[in-house]
Amino acid sequence: MFLFLKNINLWLISSICISLLVAIPIFVIFSGFFGETSNYLAVLSETFLLEYITNTFLLLIGVLSLTFIFGVGVAYFVSFYTFPGSQFFTWAIILSFAVPGYIYAYSLTAFFANYGTLFSILTFLFGEANYNSYIPRIDSLLGSIFSISFSLFVYVYLLTRALFVYQSQNMIDAGRNMGFSSYNILKKIILPSAKPGIVAGLSLVAMECISDFGTVEFFNVETLTTAIYDSWITFEDLNTANILSFYLLIFIFILFYLERVSRSRSRFNIPSKGFYKIEKTKLTGTKAFLIFLFCFLIFFTSFVFPLLQMIYWLIKFPGSFDLKSVFTLSLNSITVIAITCLALIVFSFVVNYGIRVTDNKYLKTLTNFSISGYAIPGVILSVTVLTFSSYVDQFLKDYFFISGFKTLIIGTIFGLTVAYFIRFFSLAVNGIKSGYEKLNHSLDDASYLMGYSKIGTFIKVHIPFLKNNLILICMLLSIDLIKELPITLILRPYNFETFATQAYNYASQDMLEYTAIPSLFLILFASLFIMISKRQILKGF
Amino acid sequence: MKKTIIVGIFVISNLCSAFSAEVNLYTSRHYQSDTDLYKKFTDKTGIKVNVISSKYEVLEKRLLSEGKSSKADVVITADAAALGSATKKEIFQKIKSETLNSKIPAIYRSAYWYGISKRARLIYYNPENISPNIVKNLNYEDLANPMFKKRIVIRKSSNVYNQSLVSSLIENNGLSKTSKWAEGLVSNMARKPKGNDRDQILAVAAGEADLAVANSYYIALMLSGKKGPEQQAAAKKVQLIFPNQSNRGTHMNISGGGVAKYAPNKENAIKFLEFLLTKDAQEHIVNNSFEYPMIAGVQPNKLIAQFGTSFKQDSKTKMTSYYNNQKKALTLMKKAGW
Amino acid sequence: MANYLEVNNVDFFAGESLVLKNISFSVPKKGDCICLLGPSGIGKTTILRGIAGLKEIPNGSIFLKDRILNDPNNFIEPEDRNISLSFQENALFPHFTVEQNIKFGAQRSLFCSKNKNGPLKFSTDQLLDFFFISDLKEKYPHEISAGQAQRVCVVRSITHNPDLLLLDEPFANLDQNLKEKVQINLKRILKETGMTSIIVTHDKYEAFYLADYCGVLYNQKMVQFDQPYNIHHKPNSKEVVDFFNRGVLIPAKVIGKNKLFNEELGEIQGEFSMDYPLNEQVELLIQPEDLIHDDESDLKLEVVDKKFRGTNFVYTLKTASNNLLPVFVHSHHEHLHQENEKFGIKKPIFIDHLVCF
Repeated sequence: MFLFLKNINLWLISSICISLLVAIPIFVIFSGFFGETSNYLAVLSETFLLEYITNTFLLLIGVLSLTFIFGVGVAYFVSFYTFPGSQFFTWAIILSFAVPGYIYAYSLTAFFANYGTLFSILTFLFGEANYNSYIPRIDSLLGSIFSISFSLFVYVYLLTRALFVYQSQNMIDAGRNMGFSSYNILKKIILPSAKPGIVAGLSLVAMECISDFGTVEFFNVETLTTAIYDSWITFEDLNTANILSFYLLIFIFILFYLERVSRSRSRFNIPSKGFYKIEKTKLTGTKAFLIFLFCFLIFFTSFVFPLLQMIYWLIKFPGSFDLKSVFTLSLNSITVIAITCLALIVFSFVVNYGIRVTDNKYLKTLTNFSISGYAIPGVILSVTVLTFSSYVDQFLKDYFFISGFKTLIIGTIFGLTVAYFIRFFSLAVNGIKSGYEKLNHSLDDASYLMGYSKIGTFIKVHIPFLKNNLILICMLLSIDLIKELPITLILRPYNFETFATQAYNYASQDMLEYTAIPSLFLILFASLFIMISKRQILKGF
Repeated sequence: MKKTIIVGIFVISNLCSAFSAEVNLYTSRHYQSDTDLYKKFTDKTGIKVNVISSKYEVLEKRLLSEGKSSKADVVITADAAALGSATKKEIFQKIKSETLNSKIPAIYRSAYWYGISKRARLIYYNPENISPNIVKNLNYEDLANPMFKKRIVIRKSSNVYNQSLVSSLIENNGLSKTSKWAEGLVSNMARKPKGNDRDQILAVAAGEADLAVANSYYIALMLSGKKGPEQQAAAKKVQLIFPNQSNRGTHMNISGGGVAKYAPNKENAIKFLEFLLTKDAQEHIVNNSFEYPMIAGVQPNKLIAQFGTSFKQDSKTKMTSYYNNQKKALTLMKKAGW
Repeated sequence: MANYLEVNNVDFFAGESLVLKNISFSVPKKGDCICLLGPSGIGKTTILRGIAGLKEIPNGSIFLKDRILNDPNNFIEPEDRNISLSFQENALFPHFTVEQNIKFGAQRSLFCSKNKNGPLKFSTDQLLDFFFISDLKEKYPHEISAGQAQRVCVVRSITHNPDLLLLDEPFANLDQNLKEKVQINLKRILKETGMTSIIVTHDKYEAFYLADYCGVLYNQKMVQFDQPYNIHHKPNSKEVVDFFNRGVLIPAKVIGKNKLFNEELGEIQGEFSMDYPLNEQVELLIQPEDLIHDDESDLKLEVVDKKFRGTNFVYTLKTASNNLLPVFVHSHHEHLHQENEKFGIKKPIFIDHLVCF
């Protein structure tokens, strides 16, 4: 009896600690909400607040539309048809996830700039001339929309495809029986039943789009996120930054709940009995060619194009290649990824195992709450971690005469890991949770009754079962971590650069061509992670 | 377990740094050639240079958060307004250096910071598209002239070089005149501000605009071929003028630095700053990042020198005004729609 | 204690709600088979879970082989009890094949408590044969039907060779034919290995066949715990009768030793299972096999319903006081009576086991 009581406390305590950690950003923003603001907020409201909101809104609409077309389009074609290359595109499309929006932005700019890559290509092919007047000017907003869309549409693709795969052939036959054309079948049967997946994917895209910083900052598009960064950095008005963050967060939470609701509904849509796998229609001729072209263009523009642009720069400016720095960057990135993944997995297991063993409803709500870390834009999160460290440092100094707390957090790998932890905890804990949900409780009981202890059950039953989930989570975390920019920029230690920060440094300091090496390696590593887990990615969403 | 390892590494690395000579540099200079410059310092003195480089605003936030426990020794910026900000926020400490005081002209240093190199903000044009006669005696203030409607390119208002320029205009012409000027400039913009300084020069070369505003070293950088043959060819098409020659002179800016307030390696920090003002270092700077030298006896690189070195430099407008007016400048620019 | 398993005065809870009150029963010796019968949802699974240790009992005690498993001061974890439970719902590990699932039960590894009983005398292959699932060894749980999965669970539990085997509705999903074959094999296995078992079922034929003792659960209590023959012929309360729902109670008066009188049916003779005082008014249980059809008899009752059951018909007869009496008639009988006809009952009525309340 007593042992059991002790156990409950242990799980609850550790989960509460973790949740408090994840709640830091929200706490800081709230406490800053009631502070005074400089007249920046007034200036802002008079002039540009409307423009920022409009830009954010237009960006969102543009990105959602494009990601819908790309994501649902490719998912539809590879799920229901076979055509030349359909097998390849099914997994290759995911590779675009290896290119973060800002790298895409650099490539796009490089290509269409005056005397840029396109100019060089045309000169090479057709001789000298002033092609610049014919090269299309990329409008900043449009460039941002394209960059972000290409980097995010994979979310829509995967989530939509996951539901398409579960469509039963029965439904489609019923539609044909009723005389529907394939367009009508798509519109009236397939799309509605995949709706939860589409909504979930679009919500994720929306969240990431709103928090995007690197891309819009590069293109000089003023959004709410850049306004927050501006008010903090340039106007040194942390309180305005907090207020804007607060409003942004509310918007994000609404989006998040939309996603959650659609996710929970989608569980009931999966049929179990009477389920016939989809028979894919084989395409030939013009139709096959057109659809192949569609998929190929998306694949090429979203992945091959940035890769080629970076390779072009590398060839053109070979002086930028420094083996030693590449090695250091790799080491840094890998170290950070390994430590963070380890911490996240261990603590996610602590929370999930606790839920499983004690069935405590408080624990369950805590895991839902952790999504806040993911939803908060990286810039805001880092600033709040900095602010919080200062609060605590001051507090410890005043009451306990302990100093040096700040040094533990700011500019250390530990501090960086903590911030990553807050941001990505939700991904890890919910990923493991969804794995556990598929393992029903009586399995644990069955294992105990066969003589296996609690630890034995964990090692012999849970771990093998969750193996695929773990691979998927680790790889997704690795991809996100290697692409991560704002948190790393603000909290990193001395002499510590990752591929992402190095690329950003070069881009923001007038050395755009030098972004080639870090960008290439970032894309390469991320692609590697995708390839390792591509089977799990296709299955696991 | 993981935490023990981390703390262990932390402790060990601290111990190591206690025994080796080093200097911790926070810099917002962004020139590739600087790495070689630091190497030269290490070769000469045996002191290792640890670098963290970032945009100035981020560095400042970090320094302020770190407070007393900051390990920064030297803080270097690429713009004078940043120096003003750092001074105001007590990031620097006063030091005594005869070397620095004797080598650097008084307007380019203060009790807290020291200029390292100079740059001018110039107006570029393409003689194929606009006659040299029109641009001959141009002032910055003329950029708002309606005759240049939709023919000017300049980078975004968030760039500190522009903010410093506008600050100096406010200092000289007053707030309301500068406001009107900014509005005029915005209506003269050929496109919404896009890209960095070099992109503005390229736009003029390509004919997308007639006038561009950019720092001096960029044209030299492009002409050197370091940015590829296309940019080199494009740069050859472009000429420049030094604005405001008939009044106060061309707007100058400096890259400079100072010793951090809680520097753990103060002596090394002073040595480092003094090194940057030696002939050796100055020649490295002028020939690699094509800036104007700070000390006498060093000539600017010929690629920039070819446009003239005896132009009138605005030595009247105090560098401190760049920071003091910065917020007003940015507000004014944003209000004008920049 | 002399008994192999003892459950003493235990209240069984499912979640927060009390499902069974003050349950007591025992398994006298090793190798016995107990079947628990009762309506759906009464809590039979809860009893098994309590015995297995998956839920703590708040009062009472459970002993196994002279060892306290659970009482207010002690609790032995399920992994240390050496009891196997085959769940009603599918509890196969989805990422192991059928064979791996079964082997999991037989494993003696680092993380597994040592089973002092040693390996089972039957091999896995033999067991699979007995339950007609030999061809499923390489399949995964999602590839087999519910009935097959249930049998795999049973095999896994048996393989473990526990001190006590608990089966929860193990053959609920099987058709009658297969069920009977499997029951025969199960009984054989239990007898030859000497494994003690408690089986939950709502199929009384299964219970009557397999069990040495049956426990009937009704109205939150254990109403009768006895050998199967006695449960059928000597139900100890109206509740048991209600549960089996095969007979009807009619009023009668005791008029002598082993004699009763009912107004419509006349004199009824037989053997009382208990003594009743003279002239007492009782309720007599009439089961379908008790009344014998006799076309010659002058005791005629109206037929209100006729069900064809293959071997026999079940006629429902209505008495003057509107009691509905069921009567079995072998279906080879020549006169097929229809509804609204009159139907003769042999007089006097003789019932072997007179059950009265």
